[in-house]
Amino acid sequence: MAKPERKGQATLRQPEPRPAAPPKRGAQQHRVQFADRSRSWRRHHLSVAREALLRLKQTPIASLMTLAVLAIALALPGFLLAALGNLQGLTNGWEPQPRISLYMQTDLSDEAIDRFSRELLLREDLNSVELISRQKGLEEFREYSAFADLLDSFEDNPLPAVIMVLPRDTDPLQLPLLRSDLAALPGVEEAALDMEWVQRLDAILMLAGRGSYVLGGLLALAVLLVVGNTVRMTIESRRDEILVSKLVGATDAWVRRPFLYSGFWFGLLGGVLAWLLVQLALLMLAQPAQALASLYLTDFALQGLGLGGSLTMLASAVVLGLAGSWLAVSRHLRDIDPGAVAPGAAAPGAAAR
Amino acid sequence: MTAIRFSNVFKRYASGHDALLGVDFELASGEMAFLTGHSGAGKSTLLKLIMLMDRPSRGQVWIGQQDLSRLHRSQIPYLRRKIGVVFQNHQLLFDRSIFDNVALPLQVSGYDPADAARRARAALDKVGLLAREKHNPITLSTGEQQRVGIARAIVHKPRLLLADEPTGNLDPQLSEDIMRLFGQFNSIGTTVLIASHDLSLINRMQHRMLTLKNGRLVADG
Repeated sequence: MAKPERKGQATLRQPEPRPAAPPKRGAQQHRVQFADRSRSWRRHHLSVAREALLRLKQTPIASLMTLAVLAIALALPGFLLAALGNLQGLTNGWEPQPRISLYMQTDLSDEAIDRFSRELLLREDLNSVELISRQKGLEEFREYSAFADLLDSFEDNPLPAVIMVLPRDTDPLQLPLLRSDLAALPGVEEAALDMEWVQRLDAILMLAGRGSYVLGGLLALAVLLVVGNTVRMTIESRRDEILVSKLVGATDAWVRRPFLYSGFWFGLLGGVLAWLLVQLALLMLAQPAQALASLYLTDFALQGLGLGGSLTMLASAVVLGLAGSWLAVSRHLRDIDPGAVAPGAAAPGAAAR
Repeated sequence: MTAIRFSNVFKRYASGHDALLGVDFELASGEMAFLTGHSGAGKSTLLKLIMLMDRPSRGQVWIGQQDLSRLHRSQIPYLRRKIGVVFQNHQLLFDRSIFDNVALPLQVSGYDPADAARRARAALDKVGLLAREKHNPITLSTGEQQRVGIARAIVHKPRLLLADEPTGNLDPQLSEDIMRLFGQFNSIGTTVLIASHDLSLINRMQHRMLTLKNGRLVADG
C-alpha cells in the first residue's frame, strides 16, 4: 500500500532507493560539510563549557563549598611539598658525611695541639684531619656570628682549639665507638659526632616527603570522589534531559560532554583556589622564616611553588577534576538509558507535572 | 522498498512475560499504517524494538537496509536521528522553552544554530504553536503538549515517523486534527506507523491496520 505520490519538499526523504547508503556528493560539497561539522563540534564545546560554568554559578553556595573542599584538599599536599622543598634546600648546603669534632683542652699549648693533630693523621681509621686553632676559631666566629660583640666581654680567647676528623668508616654503628675512642685520647676535652643530626634530619625529611606523597595520594582520591559525587548529583538532576536527548539521537559523547566540563571547571577553579591558599600561607610564613633564618646566620629565603610547581598543581587539579567526572559519568550514564523506560509507561520526572 | 521489516520477532521480558510472539510484517517506504490492539498486546514493545530502546529475544528487525541486530551500540544514535517519535507522555522538558524542546534533535545532530532555529520555527508553525515558542511547555494543555511533541518528532524531517498513542487523552476533534497532521506528513513521503487503540478514528482514516493480540499479529489489512 505504498503511496506513490511524492510531492514537494525533496529534503524530506532521499529520492534514491537506498536510504541506508550515504547520498552521493561532490568532493567540494563534502569538504564544506566536514568543515561545517567540525565548526559545529567546536561551537558545541564552547557553549557546553560556558553552560557548565553558568550552572556552577546557579548554585553558588553549593559550588563554593565544593570548591572550598577541593581547594583545601589540593592545597595541603602542595603546601607540604613546598615546605619540604624549602627544608631540603636548607640542608643541601651541608655535607651529609659524618664528622667528629674534637674539642681540645684549653690549657694545651698550640704546639702540643699541632703535634696531636699530626699524630691523628697517621691513624688508619681517619680520612682527613683539620685543625682549627684557637686563634682561627676566634676569627671565624668574629666573621660569621652575630654574637661577635660577645667576645669583647672576654679577656682571653674563650674558644677551644677544634680538630675535625672525617672517619673512614661511616657505618652508623661504628661511629659512636670511634667517637668514644677519640674522646678517651689525652688532651681531648670532648668529642662530638657532628653531622649525626643532619643525617637524622635528612632521614626525617625523606620520611616526611614520602608521607606527603602518601597524603597527597589520599587527598587526590578525596578530590576524585568529591568531584565524582558532585557530578553524579548533577547527572541525577538532569536525568530527563539525558533520556530525551538520547531518544532523539544524542551520542554518548554529546551527553557526556557537559558533565566532563563540570569536572573540568571544578578542577581548574579548585586548583586556582588551592594555589591562592598556598601562596597566602607562604606569604604569611615568609617574614617569620626570614627572621628565624637570620638568627641562624643563613641567607635563607622562603621559596614559593615556582612556575613549575604552580603549573603542576593546576594541571593535576584539572586532571583530577576530569577523572572524577569521567568516573561518575561512565558509571551512571549507562544506567540512564531509554531502554529502561517504556514509551508508554509511566514517564520519568519530565512528565511528573 | 522496505522501511520496516519484522522477521519472526519474539520478545520475552526478564519477568517471563511474552510481549511479542513471532511477529512478521513489512512496511513499505512511504506507507502509513496503524498498529492496534488492547493495551498490553505488544504495541509499545514493537515500537521500542524499532527505536532500539530494546532488543528482540529472537528474530530480526530491519530499518531500511539495516539489520538492527548487527548495529553496534555506538551507531544507535545515528539510527534514531533518522526516526521521529511522538511519545504518549510527550517526554517534553519543562526546564526550557517550547522552542528549545523542538530544537533539541537538531542541536543533538550538530545543526548550525541559525539553521536549527529556522527549522524549529517551521515545525512549530506546522503544528500551529509558533506564537507560543518562548513559553514553557508546562503552560500548555495536553493537546498542545502533544503537538509540541509532534513538532519535535518532525523537525529534522525524518524518513520514518513513529507515534505511540498520540491521541491518548484528547477529545475526538483534537484527535482528528492530529491524525490529519500525520496524514500530511505521509503525503509528502514520510513513512508513518501509529500505535493507537482508537478504532473508530482509525477506521475512518482508511489506512493499513496491523492488529496485535497477546503478542501475535492477528490481522493485517
